[in-house]
Amino acid sequence: MPGATLAPTVPIHTADKAKRTQYSARVSALILLAPALGLCAVFIFIPAILAILGSFFTFGITSRAWEPAGLSNYAKVIADPIFWTALRNNLIIVIGSIVFQVGIGTILAAILDRGLPRASTVFRTVIFAPMVVSAVAVALIWQVILDPNVGALNAIIKAVSLTPPQLGWLGDPTISIWVVLMIACWQYTGFMMVLILAGLQGIPKELYEAASLDGARGLTAFRHITLPSIRNVLLVAVLITTIGGFKVFDLIYATTQGGPANATQVLGTYIYLQAFNLGNMGYANAISVVLLCIAVMLGWLQLKSSRRA
Amino acid sequence: MPHFTRAKVLMYGFVSLWSLFVMLPLLWMVLASFKTKRELFMDPLGLPGTWTFDAFERAWGVGMGAFLLNSVIVTAASVALIVVVSGMAAYVLARSDSRWLRLVYLLIVAGFAVPVQAVLVPLYQMISGAGMLNSLAAIVLPYAAYGIPFTTVLFYAFFLDFPREMEEAARLDGCSRIRTFFSVILPLSGPAVASAAIFQAVFIWNEFVLALLMLNTPDTKTLPVGIIALGGEFTSDWPAIMAGLSIAILPILLIFVLAQKYFVRSLAGLGK
Repeated sequence: MPGATLAPTVPIHTADKAKRTQYSARVSALILLAPALGLCAVFIFIPAILAILGSFFTFGITSRAWEPAGLSNYAKVIADPIFWTALRNNLIIVIGSIVFQVGIGTILAAILDRGLPRASTVFRTVIFAPMVVSAVAVALIWQVILDPNVGALNAIIKAVSLTPPQLGWLGDPTISIWVVLMIACWQYTGFMMVLILAGLQGIPKELYEAASLDGARGLTAFRHITLPSIRNVLLVAVLITTIGGFKVFDLIYATTQGGPANATQVLGTYIYLQAFNLGNMGYANAISVVLLCIAVMLGWLQLKSSRRA
Repeated sequence: MPHFTRAKVLMYGFVSLWSLFVMLPLLWMVLASFKTKRELFMDPLGLPGTWTFDAFERAWGVGMGAFLLNSVIVTAASVALIVVVSGMAAYVLARSDSRWLRLVYLLIVAGFAVPVQAVLVPLYQMISGAGMLNSLAAIVLPYAAYGIPFTTVLFYAFFLDFPREMEEAARLDGCSRIRTFFSVILPLSGPAVASAAIFQAVFIWNEFVLALLMLNTPDTKTLPVGIIALGGEFTSDWPAIMAGLSIAILPILLIFVLAQKYFVRSLAGLGK
């Protein structure tokens, strides 16, 4: 019986073939994964590790050799008043952005969703538009609008016979960070509105109808139905705003460069200043590690909260 | 119902006020770029006496054309790279239940948390060490890298729901995994690709800090770095600065208005 003699060879043959296809599947998986892993490794992970390592050394543009510095860069960070000003400014932008961008964004989204559904596309397009404009361009437009001589804002203020700040809106260290915050709200409130609007549109209409039968309309419905239903979206919006507030750079660099007298310095601009204008790269790395820790912590929270959604 | 109308008026009022607040600065920018220096100084709020394109010509003269072209090249190259590379990775990751690849996925996702501002020093040293300063590749490659984590997550979710019958058919026809991806999966992923591409394009088109660091020669600058020099180029020539900004902003705003539905949908994806 030829079949009987052949029978044992068949499983061996298929096992061999299976092994080969498994092998080639592994190779193609590796080929498909390699570019993404390679790019992330070279431009994200290795630099992150180098920034941490480099924070324990002193080096700069002029002195290329890495001199061991132990923890001295971190001691310098803690003793550096400008670092604390920068961190405080980041916190002002974070908290101010949460209050105004997420706050006003929620109000705008609720109005467009429930109150004015017909006109919502036009309003949404207008209010969201600054999000697609570069922050540098936004900063420069506002810089001219706020200019003491040619700016539109002072012209309006003088027209209603009030006096604008003597040093200029961005030149007065006591108000400049708040002016920058206002510009950030101008640009990003529409983005928050759109995020929250997407969440609102997922709320079943029956909920509102049922509540309306119970006499809950308008603000009552907003408090008892809308807000609880979008709690998770709001959390994500707050996290995105917080991360953005710690990463802010373009807006500050293009309006005040961190001035006047470091009054608007933030971590991003201070890292840039220390590393590339003052040449203290080791020290800049130590500040970077602080920023990195904050960002990774927030990123982890964002990942956790988005998975729950 | 008087109560009802009052609420409606309040709501329209609030939304209209914010819309005005958003639109007026942009409108003022366009108006200012048609004015003469004197007109802008004497009457910042008025309309231009005669509408001239002089300021636009002055602004265009500093190389806005080159900045625009560089931005288009950089954005197109980075977005294409991000979409293909992340798509490939996400496809493998979504089709595997290996624990190792689960770790690889988490590693790539972790990259999303690293802000580029925190790695400026090592990135600058690596790129200058490789002799790549002042080349478009010096920003295209990092842009691609920083776009990969979010795009991989996006594609991963998309591929999990992707019908497997098509792939099985391709595999039975003897297609390798790589060929299956390029000739079956990618062509059928239109919505995910468009969404990822718009999202990344908005951020890359506007990216500033890396471009500022890596590009110092006028022929390599992208728009955000190019326009920041306008202030130095035109000391107190505000109409020229505003015209330069109009050249930089109006095309992107026009594209946005024409395709706003897709922009909004794509960027709202960050909240998911």
